[in-house]
Amino acid sequence: MKDKENGDDSLRPKDKPSTGVEPKQETPELPKAGPEGTTPSASMPIEKPKAGGAVEQRVDADGSPSSSVDHKPRTDEAHPSVAAKSVSAKKPQSFFAEQTPLAIKVAPRILRYRSRRDFLLFGAGALAVLTGGGFLLPQDTLSRIGVRRNIDSPAKEWFLNRALRIDDDVAEVLYSANRSVPTYTRSQITPLKNNYNGATPDPGYISGWKLTLDGLTSGLNISLDIQNLLTRFSVHEQITRLVCVEGWSAIAWWAGLRFDDLLRAYPPMSQAKWALVESSVNLDGSGNPDPYFMSLGLATARHPQTLLATHFNGQPLTVDHGAPLRLLVPMKLGLKNVKAITRITYVAEEPRDYWAERGYSRYDGI
Amino acid sequence: MNALVLPHPEPKSTSTLPAQPGVLVVRKHHFLVRWSHWLNVPLLLGLILSGISIYWASPIYQHKPDPNTGNTDVAADIGIWICTHVPGLHHYNSPPDWIYNHVSLGPGMLGPALRLHWLCAYLFMLNGMVYVAGLVRGGGWRSLLPRRTDLLDALRMFRYYVGFPFAKLARRRWPHPVFNTKYNALQRAAYFSVPVAGFLSAATGWAIHKPMQLHWLAALFGGYNAARVWHFWLMWIYIQFVVPHVILVFADGWDTLRSMIVGWSTRVGRSEVVAHEG
Repeated sequence: MKDKENGDDSLRPKDKPSTGVEPKQETPELPKAGPEGTTPSASMPIEKPKAGGAVEQRVDADGSPSSSVDHKPRTDEAHPSVAAKSVSAKKPQSFFAEQTPLAIKVAPRILRYRSRRDFLLFGAGALAVLTGGGFLLPQDTLSRIGVRRNIDSPAKEWFLNRALRIDDDVAEVLYSANRSVPTYTRSQITPLKNNYNGATPDPGYISGWKLTLDGLTSGLNISLDIQNLLTRFSVHEQITRLVCVEGWSAIAWWAGLRFDDLLRAYPPMSQAKWALVESSVNLDGSGNPDPYFMSLGLATARHPQTLLATHFNGQPLTVDHGAPLRLLVPMKLGLKNVKAITRITYVAEEPRDYWAERGYSRYDGI
Repeated sequence: MNALVLPHPEPKSTSTLPAQPGVLVVRKHHFLVRWSHWLNVPLLLGLILSGISIYWASPIYQHKPDPNTGNTDVAADIGIWICTHVPGLHHYNSPPDWIYNHVSLGPGMLGPALRLHWLCAYLFMLNGMVYVAGLVRGGGWRSLLPRRTDLLDALRMFRYYVGFPFAKLARRRWPHPVFNTKYNALQRAAYFSVPVAGFLSAATGWAIHKPMQLHWLAALFGGYNAARVWHFWLMWIYIQFVVPHVILVFADGWDTLRSMIVGWSTRVGRSEVVAHEG
């Protein structure tokens, strides 16, 4: 890159003050009466190049034999005053005015050498991008365009996941515990569909439902039923937007207890940084058990807008929306908003995450 | 736009240097501009292909479910229309997926598409900064700024392009309007608006990627849903730019294409014109 830059600079005398060429000379449209007419170049007599008019420039890019490149004196040095006479209807020179390029005489040999070098670089770059880009395409896409070979590899996964991690880190930097997500009025509420990833569970589980807390300071496992939760904790309402990774979103009216209140009532062990939020009633597409599990940083869990929701549109949650208790964490993608939570485990290390194991990002902060 | 390779030594030159064989060239594109220009090709391709795969997961343009197929997606409708009307596609196995099979990574590939989209998006933003750095270092930004005379000049260029094929057919002379600038008004409009579109694409992308932390940005574009629509239509700016861009570069000739690879041009007419006038 450095070589390239040097090579280019030799084609750009205007950037080299040592050549004695003033940048302003490149704008010949300068009228004599203009305020900038005081530049030395503008008052130069015709056909009399300045001291630096014919410049010897070393063009030894990449250590190739150097040769001299001389400016054509009349292309730039002489013309300002000429231009002032002959070219009419020109705008006065300003910082924003386009500059007339300098024509430089270059030995054909140098030009050929440079062209060859640049075309080879261009070809190598194109080839590298083509292979690299093709390598990064998903296998399904490649098979569809007729690539038979399986090019999935750990290196590819590593690289693409690395890009995801960077995006996750950016999301963490953007997140502020003190920032509230926008809230809406009831008139702005939009329909929210049942977006269970698999089949919707049979409501039979609700009667025997309990929330188990694990990883507490006390070292005990705590089980709470929905009456416990609703009587012990104050209920908060909020109308927020739920944003799905697919792109759709819905403004919905929720009510429930604050996750933060639960954390205060049942403090997690001191080294815990994460909550693993699980639903054992989740089903896959064919109706078989498919437990759902999500990682959630405790900093996000403590946000005042992170609810353990019990109500939707003023009514107790229906099966569709994760009765009797779901996570509502509007500063994360919808897929973090676990329905029908059955267990919360506080852990020190980042726990597993259902969708991160399926090629999506881990933190999903929005 | 005449390719002018002047013979060495200038007869009128008072240079004291001995005459040397040489080719007159002008610097045209800074190397950062050239490299970022070409990198836009794979990056925009990756962004569009993965972007349409992301679009598939939740299309902006939907209608009530079709009574027969249950289809709601306008892009699927277009695919079905293509498969019914284009000869040879009547037996295409999944007409609603035709669009997604041909201009995206494929249907049902949200996860891989998001991963590629973020990768390309970060590189695209970096590349945009490199491009701007190249414009600043090479001074090329001045040639892209819109001017007061651009509207009229753009109409002249438009008239030239529209009339060109007819003039060719009638074997009539059809002179190219003369400009004393690096780009004509239409080019300037295009080359100025595409970087602006790039900036807006990045801004709307952030607005829909982080609609909670950057909710002010989403609000700037009219909210989350409106920002998605912006982001979608900004893509079309690149598509409608690229087609005439490529055609016209080839029509303009080898020097123009080469200059984006090597950086210099042998079309020194503009820097010479002034001297000749003396």
